Amino acid sequence: MWFKKAQKWQLEVDVVVIGSGAAGAVAALAAHAGKARVAVLEKTDRFGGTTAVSGGVVWVPCNKHMAEVGIADSFDDALAYVTRLTDGRSDPALVRRYLEIAPQMIDFVEGATPIAFKALGRYPDYHPEFAGGRPGGRSLDPGLFDTNLLGAWKDKLRRSPVFGMTAMSVSEATDWGVFSKPSALPFGLLAKRFKQGLVCYGGALSGGLLKALLDRGIEPMLSTGADELVVEDDRVVGVRARQGDKELLIGARRGVVLASGGFEWNEELCRRFLGGPLTHPNSPPGNEGDGLKMAMSLGADLGNMSEAWWCPSLMVPGEEYDKRPLHRGDFATRSLPHSVIVNRKGQRFVNEAHNYNDLMKAFFAFDPVAYERSNLPAWIVIDQQYLERYALLTYVPGMPVPEWLVRADTLDELAAQIGVDARGLAATIARFNRAAVEGVDPDFRRGESVYDHFYGDPDHKPNPNLGTIEQAPFYAIQIHPGAIGTKGGARTDGDARVLRPDGTAIAGLYAAGNVMAGVTGAGYPGAGATIGAAMTFGYLAGRHAASRSV
Amino acid sequence: MPEVEYTTKMALSRALVWDFVKDMNNWAPMLTGYQQHEIIDDKDSIWTLKGDVGILSRMVRLKAHVTEWVDRDRVAFTLEGLNEKVEGGGLLVMADLVSDAPPPPPPKKRWFGRRFLDWLARKMFRRMHGEGPRRLAAPTAAEGGTQLTFTLRMDAGGPTGPLVNAMLGPALLPAAEDLANKIAAHLEREHLASDAAA
Repeated sequence: MWFKKAQKWQLEVDVVVIGSGAAGAVAALAAHAGKARVAVLEKTDRFGGTTAVSGGVVWVPCNKHMAEVGIADSFDDALAYVTRLTDGRSDPALVRRYLEIAPQMIDFVEGATPIAFKALGRYPDYHPEFAGGRPGGRSLDPGLFDTNLLGAWKDKLRRSPVFGMTAMSVSEATDWGVFSKPSALPFGLLAKRFKQGLVCYGGALSGGLLKALLDRGIEPMLSTGADELVVEDDRVVGVRARQGDKELLIGARRGVVLASGGFEWNEELCRRFLGGPLTHPNSPPGNEGDGLKMAMSLGADLGNMSEAWWCPSLMVPGEEYDKRPLHRGDFATRSLPHSVIVNRKGQRFVNEAHNYNDLMKAFFAFDPVAYERSNLPAWIVIDQQYLERYALLTYVPGMPVPEWLVRADTLDELAAQIGVDARGLAATIARFNRAAVEGVDPDFRRGESVYDHFYGDPDHKPNPNLGTIEQAPFYAIQIHPGAIGTKGGARTDGDARVLRPDGTAIAGLYAAGNVMAGVTGAGYPGAGATIGAAMTFGYLAGRHAASRSV
Repeated sequence: MPEVEYTTKMALSRALVWDFVKDMNNWAPMLTGYQQHEIIDDKDSIWTLKGDVGILSRMVRLKAHVTEWVDRDRVAFTLEGLNEKVEGGGLLVMADLVSDAPPPPPPKKRWFGRRFLDWLARKMFRRMHGEGPRRLAAPTAAEGGTQLTFTLRMDAGGPTGPLVNAMLGPALLPAAEDLANKIAAHLEREHLASDAAA
């Protein structure tokens, strides 16, 4: 950090935003709305950060669009629900602040951008049966976005390696049965949309936010990574950034907003802080904890450091994204019939169809006697019935069986190939098959929650998540610990100001998104909770920073 | 089926060009995203390529089968995906550059959107694979030399075929240009540079 006076700035603005995900973009728009001159720095060569590769859904209880799908909500219900999920790891005042401000933030974003959100009436909260949970409506879909609106910036918008080629809104994906009827998807229409330049999910959200920035004359500075905060008289007054070999000193008269994402691609920070081995992150590789390190260098208090937005990952060998191995988050394979997850003993250990964040915690279970994690490594086991009906990563029924699946004619052979106890696997599958026939999973309650059903096959009876594994060949694929992003970082107050351990704010420094101590603590309330919180605290940060006196 | 054609010219004799082109082992490593190739026999080989579709890259294994091999004139081959449902083929054709030869047909008129997509695809291709090889100035017909035309077609099958073809289409032209230019640059380096040195 720098404490020098009289910096010679190469650029001086009111608010510097570090990072171009939803948190950063909304912070920039909010600051601009407060009459601030804004600079947005993005370390990578594409705009959009983690948001752009995500599902792009925004979780906002009591949003105005819920009424359009006939779902009522209440602040108290949302508060009770989120509070339970935080597991005591978040400041209750911040939870309240998130829930109070998020609907306002949505109004602001819809007013400032071309995005028109739609409530997803059938996308349930991640614990919909908990008190205050909802079977749908709180998750908002940004729809499709036409990248031609971005002009020369069209190819500077980050594309998701998973969703970037199939332009279907989340509503369409749900209606079309993206998980349960992959062969019936309108691939001709999707090809047409691809050629037209339409994007969906996080690409649509990021595209809409970028359009709004460009319309205001805010051109994000790509390939510009910040690595130091500049401090004068105990106030953050700027950043030192790099553009290739060139160093840039950028003054920030009113404040700096850290919105640079998590630290999931920084192995050292992951080892030091996380509660489990995060080996296969799903986010863009630029998320290396830059903002976290800058906040730490100023003595920021930290919170929620052991947590991440956990998500199990699968891999197709040889696939790369941004020159790093691509880890694809798994949302449906484990939820559809004819699949189970087993550990090295060949035993199931979790409701496979449970939400991806909480599911991962079962992977980290520690056996104190053996002094090892009992459920790592783990494997998804499926049979031929699965492959005849459902998709798996890049595979869609009708295509050749992928080489990257371990294949065997018997379960014993499969167990031998993947190093799993054969007797254990046989016993597990036999028991699972009985449960599948009955449609009730007495061991882990798979297929009980409306959340599980969302990712299941509605046409499969008696339970949309349970199907026997009995038809050879049998197949396996390793499932790895992953995360959409980490969610530990700088503690903030209700205006997203970064706090010191004594509770005082570091003047001129804000944090939003995965670089701040996550407001939802250990929990993941529903689809888009990560982006919903990120945008809300980005909005608060931008608004507050713009209002500061120079 | 997406199909592209690209022609380049070299101030080299057709015999020299053929001597290089006739053996796939010589130019297979110049294929975009080349990882390795395995020769099965005179006609068959397996290519492993890292294929880029603009957003991510993926390993593709293709079986190449030579279907036509005409001395000093052409090599034609088919391609069959071993780990992806894709098929296609290629054709490398050589012709003398002679002053009295009829001019080549003008390139097909492409609508603006198509030209923009090709420009975008080239830009993304260069971002992923770096700048193309350095080339000498193309000879005029009066100066003589050889014209090398590479035609490449790929067609993805299965239910996702239309979508994959939409992604493959823009990537094919830069790949064809890349191969033809790399072959030409290599031969120019080998022969014209040594001539200059002599």
